[in-house]
This record gives sequence, C-alpha cells and structure tokens, in this order.
Amino acid sequence: MIYLPIAEMPVNVLLVLLVSGCVGFVSGLVGVGGGFIMTPALIFLGVPAPVAVATGASQIAATSFSGIMTQTRRKSVDWRMGLLLSIGGVIGSVGGVALFERLLRIGQLDLIISLLYLVLLAGVGVLMLRESYHVWRGRTAKSVSILRRPLRTVAHSLPFRLRFPRSGLYVSVVPPLALGFGIGALAAIMGVGGGFILVPAMIYLLRMPTNVVIGTSLFQVLIVTSLIVILQSAATQTVDLVLAALLMLGGVVGAQIGARLGAGMKSEHIRGMLGALLVGAAAKFLFDLVITPAETYVLGGGLG
Amino acid sequence: MRAALIALALTLLASPARAQQPGDVANDLPAAVAEEQISVSSDYRGSYITVFGLNPDRRGRGDIVVVLRGPNEAATVMRKRRVFGLWINGDPVRFSQAPEFFAVLSNRPLRQIANADSIWRYQLDPAASAQLASAVPAGGDPSAYRAALVRLRREQGLYQWYSGRARENERGGLTLYQGGLFRAVVRLPANAPIAQYHADTYLFRDGRLISSQRIPVTVSRVGFERTIHDLATNVSWFYGIVTVLLALLAGWGASVLFRRS
Repeated sequence: MIYLPIAEMPVNVLLVLLVSGCVGFVSGLVGVGGGFIMTPALIFLGVPAPVAVATGASQIAATSFSGIMTQTRRKSVDWRMGLLLSIGGVIGSVGGVALFERLLRIGQLDLIISLLYLVLLAGVGVLMLRESYHVWRGRTAKSVSILRRPLRTVAHSLPFRLRFPRSGLYVSVVPPLALGFGIGALAAIMGVGGGFILVPAMIYLLRMPTNVVIGTSLFQVLIVTSLIVILQSAATQTVDLVLAALLMLGGVVGAQIGARLGAGMKSEHIRGMLGALLVGAAAKFLFDLVITPAETYVLGGGLG
Repeated sequence: MRAALIALALTLLASPARAQQPGDVANDLPAAVAEEQISVSSDYRGSYITVFGLNPDRRGRGDIVVVLRGPNEAATVMRKRRVFGLWINGDPVRFSQAPEFFAVLSNRPLRQIANADSIWRYQLDPAASAQLASAVPAGGDPSAYRAALVRLRREQGLYQWYSGRARENERGGLTLYQGGLFRAVVRLPANAPIAQYHADTYLFRDGRLISSQRIPVTVSRVGFERTIHDLATNVSWFYGIVTVLLALLAGWGASVLFRRS
C-alpha cells in the first residue's frame, strides 16, 4: 500500500502495477495506445475520475515517446504534418482542459466522461469484433480497403494547400488542423491519446501512406498529452506524480512483454478478445447510467 | 399541533448554527489527546485518535460526549434526474459550510444525554453544522438534502456515531473507567481530509452542559508526500513539466531496453 499525495487515497502498489502492466500488455499486443483502457480501469479502482484522466495522460506521453524513438530510427515521421496536427491539438487541448475544469466545477464531469467512454468503448469494441469475425470467417480483412482508399477527398479541394514531401501529399492545412483540434479536446477530457481515431482519419481523410501514419500520429499524441499534463497540473492540480510513476513503470514493462508475445499469436484472436472486453466495459458504463440508482443524491463538485 | 411541531423543526433546521463553543459554560474539563500531531506519509492508511479525560465529579456522575470535528468546507449535494433514460446529476444545492469529518462518541445514546435543542445548540450532530447557502430547487425538500449529505458522508466513513465502549473487533468507542477517567477512540479513515481537527469534550449532567474543553489535533503531510503536494500546489507549472520529463525519461528508457533485447 502507498498513499497517493494528490488522489488522497491509499492504493495497493502491486494492484496498480498489475493493472497498468495488463493495459500495457494489451497495448503492446494489439498496437493501440491503451489510454482508453487505462483511464476506465483506474476509475474502477476507485481513483477519482479527474485524477485518473489527468494522470493517465502522462503515461500515454511515456508510451508514445518510446514509440517515436523507434519510428524516428525508421524515418517514418512526417514532421511537417505532425507539426500541423500538433498546432490543432494544442488549441484543442487548451479548450479541452478549460471545459474539463468547468465540468468539474459544475459537477457533471463524471457523467460526461462516462458517456464519452460508453460511445467510444462500444464503437471501438464492435469494430474490433466485426473485423476479427470477418477474418475468422475466412474473408479478406479490411486491409484491402486501404489500397482502395479514395484518390481525392475533401482535404484535396479545400484552400491553403501545402506540400508534404515525406507523405508525398499536396493537401489543405484545414483538415489536419481540425483533426488535431478534435483529438486534443477529446484527449484532455477523456485521458486518451486518440491514436485509434487519428490513424484511420489520416489514412482515409488525408490519404497519408500507412508507413508514416503511426510515427506521425505518435508525434501528435506526445505533444498533446505532454501539454495536457502541464495544463492540468496548473489548472486543476489533478496530476498525481506517484500514480503516474507507477503507471509508467507497469505500462512500459507490460508493453514490452505484450509486443514480444504478440508476435507469436493470431492477431484476430487477440482483437476479438479485446473487442469483447471493450463491449463488456461499455455495457457496464451503460448499466450504471440507466438503472435506477439506490441512492438518488450525490456529493458533487470536487472543487466546490 | 403536529403541523406546528414540523414547522418548528424546519425553522431549527434552517436557522444558522450558533457559536461552536458555549460561552456560559466553563472550559475546564480536564482532557488531552494522545497524539496531537498525525503524520501522513507514504504508508498512511488512516489512524486512530485517542482522547483522554477526567470527570471532575468524584462519584462519576454525569455523561461524557466527545466530538472530533474536521474542517468546515463548502459542499454540494445533487439529486439524480432521469433525462432520456439516463440518470444524470441535477438540482444542485450548495452548503456554505459542512464538516468534512465528524465523529460523536458518548457513554450512552446521545438522545438520553441531551435533548434535541442541546444537541442542536452545541452542534453535537453534523447536520447542525451544515449551512444551506442556496435555494432548494422547486419540489425539493431542504431537510432531505441535509439528510442526504449526512448519509453520504456516513457511508464514506466521514461521519461516525459511537455509543458506549468499543465493540469486539472494533477500536472506536468511549469507555468510562473508575475514578471518572474516560477514554475515547476515533477511527480516522484514510479518506478523511488532511487538515486541522478539533477534539471537543463535553460533560453533561441531567441534560445540562456542565463543562467542556477543546483540543486541536493536526493531521498533516510529512516528508515525500508533503514535498509532492507542495510542489503540485505552489509551483504547479514546474510540477507539470517535471511529470512530463519523467514520462519522457520512462519512454526513452523503455526504448533503449527494447532495442537491446
């Protein structure tokens, strides 16, 4: 047991390491950031939602930085695109943190976090289940559709076009800025990196080549989550350094084990299991919101 | 008659609580706290606060009440409403102050020691210290909100009631010894606020307050916990940057380890 100075509660060190290790393991296995599993897991452990969201961002920053180190060596980061996405992300996260603080004050933060997670977990979970089901049935997976991605999208017709040599693109700067903004706001409120939305959007909307997508999205996630940690520390003081250190340790070790084991397992099985897990977690969020509560009064407003 | 009684009760509920310390009573009840300074370090899991005292009456007549009070802070109570099939928080009611921790210990049930008026006047009940600061929404009942505040804090272990000596496998309780010595033990859970507390001891006889005493108890962070908390509140920008640097260091370390293996 260790007492968390900001969350003001004692937690079991081994339990937190185990949970963050499991989340890291899954993220290494499947290749997702893991923020959208880590934050709900912390909330289920009893960590106050504001602390879970703000502290979770620091763990995502650690994971994405280690990812970038690998991607830079492969020269698969489009810095110019990453910078544009980050500018949008910075503005989005400033807005997101302000909204977070506002929601915390009026006592609706927990509800908004629950609702967003409900939609997000259910959406991602169903997509993963469907994909693994299709693979299991022997059909060719969605990878075909990546080759068939549309030649021109809205990104190519809007004004303020710019050349992106590494991606081989000539597109408007508006969609990357808008995309970055949305992801930044989402990240600030939910404690997720947002890679699982960013990656498909970059492939389908911006038509970026898949080999630079991961590295570039990691760059944006790193910039945005780092900024969120600093902004949340200043605005709401909900970043718990002790919890953050435990999460980083567990997440990093788990991710390595996951990545190594993942090489020897069938990915459709892994994705199917994770999909089922996410749908289950979404059902729990929905259940809590829909059933008639035994206690109709709640103590609200963490900051009074 | 009944309506009048209810009206009286409501006025009492709504009227602002009076001075915490009775002015017309001697503050000379001999009492002491075993640990006036409680340290919250990284292995903190809550603690016990022990209050000792002596009933000056040689024959041990009278009743002892011990109250451990936490800081009075603003609080909000909300009632859940159903909107589009989902239960959301609504109808907030603000209390300008309510004790964040409150434990009452007595040698026998409090209602047998003092009447409702005295309990209210000397704030021997947490609801007596909770002051409503905003209008209750239409259709809401102010006493229901007050009761909800007490109930929710009680479930969190922040409001406690003990009557008589500690039960088996429990340490909290008030025990009377021969010669008028008494000992009260309060369980301070880990979720209780880190702040200044006050242990108040009261001697009642025949329903009247004879004497009382107030002793401060400080719960504060020490060492590492204190450093972290001070950094987070005083130099929050710096604290955030340090956290990010730690994250980058962890990420870099992982990447180096990953490459070697």
